[in-house]
Amino acid sequence: MTAMAQRNLEKQLNILDYALSSLWRRRLKSLSVLLVFAAVIFLLASFQMVTKALSDKAREVLVHTPEITLQKMSVGRQEAIPLAYRDRLAGIFGIRRVVPRIWGYYFDEVRLANYTVMGMAVEEMPDGARLDTALASGTMPGPAGQGLVAIGQSIKKALALEGRTTFSLFRPDLSLKAFEVSGEFSPDTDILTNDLVVMNLADARDLFAIPAGLVTDLCVYVANPQEIDTIAKKISETMPSVRVLTRPQIQKTYQVVFGWRSGFGSICLLTALAAFVILAWDKASGLSPEERREIAILKVLGWQTSDILVVRFWESVIVSGLACVVGMTAAYIHVVYFAASLFRPVLMGWSVLRPDLHLLPRLAAGDILLTLAFTVIPYLAATVIPAWRSATVPADSALGG
Amino acid sequence: MLIELSGVSKIYNQGRANEVRALSDIDLGVEQGSMVCLKGPSGSGKSTLLAIIGCIFPPTSGRAAIAERQLARLPDRFLTLHRRETIGFIFQRFNILPELTVLENITLPLLPLGVPPKERRQRAQELLARFAISHRARFPAGQISGGELQRVAIARALINNQPIILADEPTAHLDTALSREFMEIMQQLKEAGKTIVIASHDPLVFEHPAIDRTVTIQDGRIHVP
Repeated sequence: MTAMAQRNLEKQLNILDYALSSLWRRRLKSLSVLLVFAAVIFLLASFQMVTKALSDKAREVLVHTPEITLQKMSVGRQEAIPLAYRDRLAGIFGIRRVVPRIWGYYFDEVRLANYTVMGMAVEEMPDGARLDTALASGTMPGPAGQGLVAIGQSIKKALALEGRTTFSLFRPDLSLKAFEVSGEFSPDTDILTNDLVVMNLADARDLFAIPAGLVTDLCVYVANPQEIDTIAKKISETMPSVRVLTRPQIQKTYQVVFGWRSGFGSICLLTALAAFVILAWDKASGLSPEERREIAILKVLGWQTSDILVVRFWESVIVSGLACVVGMTAAYIHVVYFAASLFRPVLMGWSVLRPDLHLLPRLAAGDILLTLAFTVIPYLAATVIPAWRSATVPADSALGG
Repeated sequence: MLIELSGVSKIYNQGRANEVRALSDIDLGVEQGSMVCLKGPSGSGKSTLLAIIGCIFPPTSGRAAIAERQLARLPDRFLTLHRRETIGFIFQRFNILPELTVLENITLPLLPLGVPPKERRQRAQELLARFAISHRARFPAGQISGGELQRVAIARALINNQPIILADEPTAHLDTALSREFMEIMQQLKEAGKTIVIASHDPLVFEHPAIDRTVTIQDGRIHVP
């Protein structure tokens, strides 16, 4: 290293040292700025992490959903679909299997909560689509398992089952139907199974009093997943009164819902960030008499305007860097260990039975850079640009009159 | 001549409604190793003259050469570089930063020069020992006495071993004993070869035997009695 480069490096280290001591001297003010800034970053990063983790989770668990779901529509509303419609699908090339399903909601008047009830013909479903991989323990109810159910984690809590395995639900005529728990879904699939009660088709028909020969949906499984859209189009053409929902469409709907909620939240938080940046700009634009005096003294002692700007730059980098580390670490802890409790009502809907999600956000470099770009860069701009005005305090103001 | 001013004028806010002519047609020469006092009432232009000699800003017109460098067309950046190498400042009220330690205050001029911490401490310790305030090195400057503060200010002006020392009303807030002590130190520095210019209207300063010449400034001009 040349002597000039060595000297320049020493100079930068000296200025960094002075910036650190300057922050320490105004530690109360520095700490307040750091905490407020860290809080803003914490909110933004939490939001970003939880949205990302929820979207990832949704993508993971939606592989359990049928590739195509058919529902009968009449005057714009969904109604039961005849099982006989399966015969009309037989002629469409590429369909591997058509499985009937009864899907509905059961309102528990005692707990004021909705349970999602799914009656499946498990024996007809292809491997990998039976939800059995989502089970933490037990088995899925088969066709012979009269009154057996697999339940999600919130159902278990809501029904306060504890050691028991049996419970009853009301039929529409208010007679009781008894069930026994044969399996429990894993908390990892909470986003899909949290409020789910799965039973065989006959039990679901009995519970909801759905006449024989009718179901709520027909689940279509295709031979080649690349052809989902083509087959869906053929079904639509064959049966115009049927609503055809594809798995990619459902995935997209989830992404849009999370995206919309996250966008709404981000706008609110970015407003808070903007307010903070404006405050920082305002603060950096005005100089206290002590600060003016300090700058004038430094300039008389041989400091260049650029040296003073570098001090301000380092001060801002240190404050914003620390705020970023603190804010992002707190956000990660909040999302992973506290299940993003601050944002759950916003991002996960307003259900009474909210899943105890165990989110593990993937920390991609791009996301970290995005957070940095939205927080540190505006802060640096808001503090260093007006510092130019501060740094041009005339040196002679340190002299007497 | 180490300091040579010829026909120097300074006008603040030139061409504006609030234009102020601070200095007019100043001719002044200061030889190396001499001590000159700029005398005059407040607002007479002493500090402006000191600022020009101190390379803080160039004159509006006239010729100013400090340590053989013409200031007239020197951009601000080079004025600062020249000031760093040539001028040590002692301010009115000493302008010490009270939150910094004595050692940090003294080494402030060395930071932008890229002097490493060890060398900075070493140079400062030598000056602290010379002015008998080594025991105060780690004290916050705001917690030391007026006399010690004065010596810290002088040590800071000497830290880079500049040939010229400029002092702006250095005794304005000192009692008689401390003012005398200050002048004794200035005398020692002069004997060590420093060129010293002091702006003051304190008789203890301009009547001190070490002063080689007193220049009276009045209304921005050198007053010849």
